[in-house]
Amino acid sequence: MKKFVNDPKDFVPEMLKGIALANPNTLKYIPEYNLIMRNDIPQDNKVSIMQGSGSGHEPAHVMVVGKGLLDAACPGNVFAAPPADFVYQTTKLVASPKGVLHLLNNYTGDTMSFDMGREMAEADGIEVRTVVINDDVAVKDSLYTVGRRGVAGNFFVIKAVGAASEKGADLEKLESLGNRIVAVTRTMGMALTGCTPPAKGSPIFTLAEDEMEMGIGIHGEPGRARVKITNADKIVDDLFDAVFNDLPYKSGDEVALMVNGLGGTPISELYVLYARAHELVEKCGMKVWRSYVGEYCTSLEMAGFSLTLVKMDPELEDLFAAPAEAAIRIF
Amino acid sequence: MGRDIEFVVRVIADTVLENEAYFSELDGVVGDGDFGYSIARGFEKVLKEWDNLDHSLPGNFLKKISSTIVSVVGGVSGTVWGTAFLRAGMTLGTKTEISRPDVITMLRSAIEGIKKRGNCDLGDKTYLEAVVPAVDTLEKAFNEGKDTQTALEETAVVARESAEATRPMIAKRGRAAYTGERSIGTLDAGAVAVAVIFEAVSKAWKEKPLQVDSERSMK
Repeated sequence: MKKFVNDPKDFVPEMLKGIALANPNTLKYIPEYNLIMRNDIPQDNKVSIMQGSGSGHEPAHVMVVGKGLLDAACPGNVFAAPPADFVYQTTKLVASPKGVLHLLNNYTGDTMSFDMGREMAEADGIEVRTVVINDDVAVKDSLYTVGRRGVAGNFFVIKAVGAASEKGADLEKLESLGNRIVAVTRTMGMALTGCTPPAKGSPIFTLAEDEMEMGIGIHGEPGRARVKITNADKIVDDLFDAVFNDLPYKSGDEVALMVNGLGGTPISELYVLYARAHELVEKCGMKVWRSYVGEYCTSLEMAGFSLTLVKMDPELEDLFAAPAEAAIRIF
Repeated sequence: MGRDIEFVVRVIADTVLENEAYFSELDGVVGDGDFGYSIARGFEKVLKEWDNLDHSLPGNFLKKISSTIVSVVGGVSGTVWGTAFLRAGMTLGTKTEISRPDVITMLRSAIEGIKKRGNCDLGDKTYLEAVVPAVDTLEKAFNEGKDTQTALEETAVVARESAEATRPMIAKRGRAAYTGERSIGTLDAGAVAVAVIFEAVSKAWKEKPLQVDSERSMK
């Protein structure tokens, strides 16, 4: 392992400390609960929005805490859901009279921690609603399995409910808005390489020089198939087909198109991929309302990307275009 | 048998710490390999704070074990164990004397809590595969009037057999679930942990100094 770490056990706390020091006027770090929160939250007239998941997906979720996005994030260790007590304590700290919205990606650990944290918070009289994000088409959805995973499409839910909460939307409205976005958002990812959690010290899986994993999860969970690598356009075609055919996207639709890097792919390659994806959208008679190219939800240093389509409507356009401030800035 | 509750929790804590590497290794086959590490951090804290835990009533004690675990252990492990101890503690309420039926009710309540929290049931290749038949066995032995040592030994045997029986199953919960059919042929780490713990409790019970209050209240 060749990484910038001190003691691997301190990896997440040290990252959080760095985020807080880099954003002294807007963010607060509470080490006891791995918590990063806006320092102007809670506000009486705004529902508070929080998320927690494993670390290793940055900028999701700790670096998208800011006005118009998340109000707080309480991550667990790398690729591990936060303890239920972190969820509870975070919920208490951000609790506003208008309630708290939990956003969570559909994994067994996250779901269970948030369920228990919510139960503890509700016992204190805090009103909590939950939106479960499950945009990954690679996993077959079934009542008998864990169901689809939440991946990069999560960003669109954060963006929209964050904007709506700033405009004063109530908890019920935000819950239904979140569910509405999940219903029109689909993603699939693929990997060229594995990745190494600092505490593990070795890659969670390896791919041969000529192999790729289609349908990969953001913790290296197996996808649909391990196959021989092809060229960039062909890979985009395969992901696009899987995503496009999962929802009744149709000619005339406007879509948000995201090409999300998984951490180890240069932005130049992401734009090579975007070019093909953009052409495919137009070939289907749809229009790209707005592009999102970059790293939104990563898997440490994994090389690979995911492709997300969101079917747009005027309400979503307003919310996606609303101003937002995130901890990561480019200028 | 209030003190027996504490005795058993202590054995569980020691057992989890002794088996940290083994449990992680089991989980590493199809899961993410952090099961032993995660849950050991929880019981490590339990042992560190043992003297300062709430020892007033067995129910309060179990609830405190729950809150200690969920303050440090993330993900599925923390929530499963936290929920089990919380439900068990809630069932005991303010009781000071714990009867055999109380023990069974407490364990059943813990199981129901895990099922509800994890939206899971028998057949999903989880802890439940071992713990449900084990508790059935314990209840049967109690009903037949067997002594506690015999009941625990029979329970440990059934827990081990049930854990071994997870090998041909397909995982339907947790991260192992994404491996689908690739999970066939591996043991469920949680079910094996349950077997290891029941075996340890049975062994420790045999070796423990006889407590007057335990034998009286267990009848």
